[in-house]
Amino acid sequence: MNPMTEESPAVTGRKPAESGSIPETAEDSPVTEKGTGPVSWRERELQAEKELEEETEPDLAAWDLERPASAAARKAGRRRRKVSGWIVSWLMILPAIAFLLIFTIYPMANIFRLSLYRGNALNPTKQFVSLDNFREIFLIKTDFLVALKNTAYYTVMVISFLIALSLLFALWLRADRKINQVSQVLLFTPYLIATISCAFIWSWLYNKNDYGLFNTVLGWFHLGPVNWLNDSGMAMNCIIVMNVWKNIGYYALIILASLKSIPAEIDEAALLDQAGPLRKFFRITLPLLSPQLFFILITITTGSFKVFDSVRIMTNGGPGDATRVISMYIYDYAFQRNNTLGVASAAGVVLVGILVVVTIFYFRCLEKRVHYR
Amino acid sequence: MARIELRHITKEFGGVGVIRDLNLVIPDGKFTVLVGPSGCGKTTLLRVIAGIGPATSGQVVMNGQDITDVGPGKRDIAMVFQNYAIYPTMSVRDNIEFGLKNKKVPKEERQRRIDEVSRMTGLTGLLDRKPSTLSGGQRQRIALARAMVKNPQVFLMDEPLSNLDAKLRNSMRSELIEMHRRLKATFVYVTHDQVEAMAMADMIVLINKGQIVQKGTPRQLYSDPDHVFTAQFLGTPPMNILPCEDGTQVGFRPEKAIFTETRPKGRAFCRPAEIVTCEMLGSESVCKVKLGLQTVMIKSADETLEPGRRLWLSTEDDSLLFFDAAGNRIRAEGEEREKLCRKAAEG
Repeated sequence: MNPMTEESPAVTGRKPAESGSIPETAEDSPVTEKGTGPVSWRERELQAEKELEEETEPDLAAWDLERPASAAARKAGRRRRKVSGWIVSWLMILPAIAFLLIFTIYPMANIFRLSLYRGNALNPTKQFVSLDNFREIFLIKTDFLVALKNTAYYTVMVISFLIALSLLFALWLRADRKINQVSQVLLFTPYLIATISCAFIWSWLYNKNDYGLFNTVLGWFHLGPVNWLNDSGMAMNCIIVMNVWKNIGYYALIILASLKSIPAEIDEAALLDQAGPLRKFFRITLPLLSPQLFFILITITTGSFKVFDSVRIMTNGGPGDATRVISMYIYDYAFQRNNTLGVASAAGVVLVGILVVVTIFYFRCLEKRVHYR
Repeated sequence: MARIELRHITKEFGGVGVIRDLNLVIPDGKFTVLVGPSGCGKTTLLRVIAGIGPATSGQVVMNGQDITDVGPGKRDIAMVFQNYAIYPTMSVRDNIEFGLKNKKVPKEERQRRIDEVSRMTGLTGLLDRKPSTLSGGQRQRIALARAMVKNPQVFLMDEPLSNLDAKLRNSMRSELIEMHRRLKATFVYVTHDQVEAMAMADMIVLINKGQIVQKGTPRQLYSDPDHVFTAQFLGTPPMNILPCEDGTQVGFRPEKAIFTETRPKGRAFCRPAEIVTCEMLGSESVCKVKLGLQTVMIKSADETLEPGRRLWLSTEDDSLLFFDAAGNRIRAEGEEREKLCRKAAEG
């Protein structure tokens, strides 16, 4: 049996109690280092003991003393790391926040302020008029209410037709046939064209003279030409048709992606459950599409309230005020007339208010009917 | 209760034949399992019966009546899908009730049936929950309840247990057997798992490459295979097949092997053997054994078997099965069989 293995645990176990032996071993160690000649196992053991003491004792003492200090230091280090991580993360989102503050938050706050003043683009706060601008747009003049009515009509029509048609197209595109793949591309193409270009193209199609496509087609059937964009009852519908045509591919694509993620087995299970096509659509397919439809509803609504470019190009608000929408009204009052920037701002505030109310309404009334998978 | 006949069923996908001229009678009230390797056409066949993947040609006959052109909902069958195909936006109750509502079953009757099946499947407390809040096993039960509530003549099940963990699978397996016993309906069950097929089936239909290889009771298929494919598809480990001269093949089940220290007398098949590996499975071990150039798998309860041991491996002559070069069974009697045994002895 090796005595080293027997005794060494006892040696290490004695250590903490004999803390006073540090100078002793420091003195002794040179002596033992000198003795390189043959020594008994007992001497070797003593030497090993001293070496062990030398190695471990100061460490243990230091550990005991430094323990609370190092805990505090570690805590401080952690805090420092946390702070620096916090700084880095804020620095990273700073550009985005700066843009948001400068180009969205500030203008929005400013528009509330400007709506209380009378002024123009050069001197926006010429005169404080309190709520006069709001009184003017709602109670004195009627053109804002006309613009509001036109915008509402436009929005309701675009929402109904765009959602219904893109849903129908998506259902048709769902089958994996060659013609569907081609139509998918064709349907999406208008979305890639700038609205202004589309508006110009459609203005030509709607032209009442010889080169207008629609009137040419009507001519083939011996029907008289229609005054598409110059007829106050027709002009808004013409713009709606153009915008639905332009955007249908995009929304159909979103719905199609969602449709394709519905497992085929669910449809088959419905077939086995004897569900007719309409019942299957309304009880199974539509609820499964509801998250996408809800998203589309909100984006189309906000987009439609802000419609501007197509109206500006195709009719410029005419004939009369038949196609004047809120954004055109704001543009007109802000930049085309004198000293009416406040009126435009007030209209802007109302537009923001309407969008907020509509969005809250959507979330309150419709979100519980949305089934997230 | 229904007897289903498939007559000359052919199914093609994009011009590629998956099933060719298949004929099958599924007996009334029995638990029939369609089993085979992946892609053999068993699920396709189930979908033909359900009517959701109609055959390219051929007839489906139920109780003597041609239902080939009858819609899936009107066939009086229910199906349980591999991934359950539960309607995710409906509550458990609506899922179960949907088929009944479509069939215009009166409200009281619907309520009574839902109560009954939810009690049978243990879903009573979960009826108003959404499927997304339930576990895999519970969803599986919704799928079963949805099928049961329709009280159909035929249940079709497409690998319904494959998404469950091993423990739950075993308990659901016995529940399904019990359910079949209680409902006495015709069950057609698809699986690729031969253990599941053996455990559950009244009749196994073994399919390979769109063709029926063999059908019969699990015992028939296990102990009396018509083809090498059957012999090697069923059983773990599968049957050992060794070539003899002139292309004949001899086979024996792993548990039929007998180890002896000395060369046994009076047995045709007898080879010197060396044990390569041994897997301890509890009551028995599965050993890989080298017989000259060939390797076979042996199942034995002998605890002294260990790698490296050299022994004699033999089987009773009755345990030997013979197959021709194409893999078809040679069923020989008397003298002819003795001739085959001699061949095996030499091989």
